Amino acid sequence: MDKLADGIVRFRWIIIIFFAAITLVFASQLPRAEIESDMKAMLPSDMASRVKTDLIDEIFGGTEMMMVIIRTDDVLKPETLTRTKNLSKRIKRIKGVDKVLSLFEMKSIKGEDGAMVVNPAVKRIPKTADQRKMLRQEIIENDLVYGSVVSKDFTLTAVIALLKTDVSDNFLIGEIQRAITEYPGEEDAILGGLPYVRFQVSKHIQKDLRRLLPLGLFIMFIFLFICFRQLRGVILPFAVVLMSIIFSMGLIPLLGWKIHIITIVLPVMLIAIANDYGIHLIARYQEYNIEGNTYSKQELAMNIFKSLSQPVLLTGLTTMAGMLCLLGHIIVAARQLSILAAAGIVYALAASLFFITAWISIIPKAKPVIRSNPNPRRRPILERMLGRFGRIISKRPKIVIGAALISALAISVGIFFVIIDTDPNKYYPKDHPVPYASGLINEHLGGAQNISVVFEGDIKDPRIMKKIDQLEKELGKFPEVGNTTSVARVVRQMSRALNDEWEEGYDKIPDTRNAVAQYFELYSMSGDPEDFEKLVDFPYENAMITARLNTASTKKLNTVIGEINERVENDRDVRLVGGFGYILSEMAHKIVSGQFLSLSLAILVVGILLMILFRSVAAGLISAIPLALSMMVLFGLMGFFRIELNIATAMLSSIMIGVGVDYTIHFLWRYREERANGQAPPEAVQKTLVTTGRGIVFNALSVIVGFIALLSSSFMPVRFFGFLVIVAIFSCLVGALILIPSLCIVIKPKFLEPRQEAF
Amino acid sequence: MRTICVYFLLLSVCVRLSPLNAQEDLTAEQIVDRSFKATKLSGSEALSTMTIIDSKGRERVRKIASVTKLYDNGETEKRLIRFLSPADVKGTGLLTFDYEKKDDDMWLFMPALRKTRRIVSSEKAKNFMGSEFSYADMTPPTLEDFTYTLQGEEEVEGTLCWTIEVVPVDDDVADENGFSRRIIFVAKEDFVIRRAIYYDLDGELHKELSVMEIKELDTENNRYRPMHMKMVNKQNDRQSILKVDDIQFNPEVKDDYFTTRYLERY
Repeated sequence: MDKLADGIVRFRWIIIIFFAAITLVFASQLPRAEIESDMKAMLPSDMASRVKTDLIDEIFGGTEMMMVIIRTDDVLKPETLTRTKNLSKRIKRIKGVDKVLSLFEMKSIKGEDGAMVVNPAVKRIPKTADQRKMLRQEIIENDLVYGSVVSKDFTLTAVIALLKTDVSDNFLIGEIQRAITEYPGEEDAILGGLPYVRFQVSKHIQKDLRRLLPLGLFIMFIFLFICFRQLRGVILPFAVVLMSIIFSMGLIPLLGWKIHIITIVLPVMLIAIANDYGIHLIARYQEYNIEGNTYSKQELAMNIFKSLSQPVLLTGLTTMAGMLCLLGHIIVAARQLSILAAAGIVYALAASLFFITAWISIIPKAKPVIRSNPNPRRRPILERMLGRFGRIISKRPKIVIGAALISALAISVGIFFVIIDTDPNKYYPKDHPVPYASGLINEHLGGAQNISVVFEGDIKDPRIMKKIDQLEKELGKFPEVGNTTSVARVVRQMSRALNDEWEEGYDKIPDTRNAVAQYFELYSMSGDPEDFEKLVDFPYENAMITARLNTASTKKLNTVIGEINERVENDRDVRLVGGFGYILSEMAHKIVSGQFLSLSLAILVVGILLMILFRSVAAGLISAIPLALSMMVLFGLMGFFRIELNIATAMLSSIMIGVGVDYTIHFLWRYREERANGQAPPEAVQKTLVTTGRGIVFNALSVIVGFIALLSSSFMPVRFFGFLVIVAIFSCLVGALILIPSLCIVIKPKFLEPRQEAF
Repeated sequence: MRTICVYFLLLSVCVRLSPLNAQEDLTAEQIVDRSFKATKLSGSEALSTMTIIDSKGRERVRKIASVTKLYDNGETEKRLIRFLSPADVKGTGLLTFDYEKKDDDMWLFMPALRKTRRIVSSEKAKNFMGSEFSYADMTPPTLEDFTYTLQGEEEVEGTLCWTIEVVPVDDDVADENGFSRRIIFVAKEDFVIRRAIYYDLDGELHKELSVMEIKELDTENNRYRPMHMKMVNKQNDRQSILKVDDIQFNPEVKDDYFTTRYLERY
């Protein structure tokens, strides 16, 4: 260690230039970073629901759609219908739009006076009140449009664009917005659909990156200055933070990855965590550089390095280990985040130990900030507070332990109320256009999510056709299902048009294969063959029922999927169940199991690391206690505050374990030193608290302050993530400063006792 | 209201006018007019095969028999189509009275149901029998709905043709017909279209029609019909081939064919 410290001082300029050069190289990669707003891309490509959904897309063509919802008091008003007609026509002409579904594009097919009558759903815009009344009645009877293209109360009508597979979201939404301004009106025109959600997500990722990063850096700058009241105490840790952010963000394009919603957390996380090591170095610098010291600047640098390199390395290692436990996470973006964050931490760790030490050995010694032997009453408030804690803990350690345990247990009751939710609408506050549009679609226009059941076999066979019809009818009865489509519904519709109500074949799947085939032939003669493609494939071997769901709540999705699976499980005609609703549901399952896995893994890995480093099993166990308690508090509070476990908050636990254990490590390390110097446990606790305790508090506060920036994110999960990090770090801090010292006094663990040699 | 008649209109597009000598002085509009206004066959009987091929190369084959006859001095055309295969739709029949001045009358017969149903539709079928041939593409349109520009001459498969650009006069016409521009190649020798290229409403290449094997059916009046047509959709890679396996020019087609009674006689 001495040699290394020596080397740093000797090669200080080379070290500084080396770090500057690396940082510049990675900075040059930054402009190449791209944004990924597709939620599907966050999922592993071998996840069952995703594989199945991709297969559906392959068999039946792209299933994505974009909606313009027109809202007014009565959509059958002539001016509203005229506007709808114009928009429908205009949107149909947008490149990349395959087909438009609207009152003017969809059909009314019915039996009338012994004839089959085919018309557009709205043939003529009504001029008189009587005509309007008649049209309303016609639409109510047309189950192709009622409740899906027109709301049942006639306050909403949708123009739905079915998309080709290779359209850019930005282009499409730009064109649709232009169409809306080209045909202005007093009705609200609201956009909805997955491409719009992605467009908004992408927009907000950029906005967040532009806002959160400077905000986080600014807060950190102020915080460091308040802590250290010295320019070098601000600039050196700050430089390390910047360098590690540049390093890890520059790594994104280098590894061929993209920026996801979750990645927004990365720079903020580094602002919060990457300065930890620097902060300890600066705190130690100020501790050694007291009035009247005789160290040269090189000696100062070497002493700081020697005393801190091991605990700093250790805390860096545990933080990294915690992060890397996210590698087992189901969300691909979270796995990437774990690697990026771990890389950023390694870089910050190296920069703190080498770059900061090198600078300390170069720049002239600063004026001491901490005065030696001052009047206790004039000490800074933090030191006085830590001193008071120390005295309380030394006097009543058992009571402190009991109080901590009881309060953690009380809060942990909330765990039973934790809700898991993967609904992308919850990314936004309730009044945001994205959840607003989804709400309208869910409530009035059939539903925004979907689940599909694919049948395989001779689709024209009435046996299969009747099965499809039966299942579709059953699905339609679920309260969560707003609207269903299938080829059987089309056949039944044809049967209504071809038979009169009193005839036997009316509203029925015919009994012979030939009759089914002839219905299909008739449909392909009078309709557009491409709207058939979403229902049955070209050789009539695969047919799909699509159930649109009026909810994206994970709980309800699970219920529906459970019911569907139960019905089709042993049906050999059913090939698969898929759809975006299914993906969301599977994601929720994986988040829970992934959460449990990464949490246990993180505690285990961190515990083992501590056992190895302190050469003691007890060390691992003792440090796991505050971690476990703070996790109980974390999940308990999530339950009480109704904060859902989702893609962002599910990453919390492993990150927290890795970061939170640092405070315990710093405490134990110093405490052992103080015991080795001959202090009795209560005195050693008090000494550790007022010295290293200060660094620990700064460290934890810097993490808390760093994450405050996340509270202003556009995304609700990121905001909650920020809030929960703050809560969790705070509880880890309390654990390290109150619980651990009390345990040290009560248990007097052997690995901290002086007889055991420190290595 | 001419829903299912694409096939026939398709054929009638390709009829030529009397062979005149003064071709050199024709304007684009006159050429199209003569190509479009060609007298229809006063009667015909045919067997044809429609093959629809999807982007993955999978085929759907339909064999149909058809008879047509002109009435009311050519103002009304009556048509009967009967499916011959595949077996599951065999016997399905469609009877259409295509009036020049009012909505068409149409009856459908489904053998599996043993019943005839009249069909009333204000919808133009976009694609005929689920094929790439569409009604709007092929129908002889109202001449004034388009502007015509003679672009030059070009050989198509060894036949010298005029190349003419056809552009809808306004957006409504464009919407209705589904194209913003169409280039047609009209053979100088017989006024039959040999090739047509369609551009969609965004001006992008959409479909391409190739016409092969022109056959003169009415030698007295010099009327022709193509025996083989192919439409390729360049945007979704689907294509459709309509092949006339056998055709007879017959002005004396029995009137009895064009009755619902005959439609059901299967």
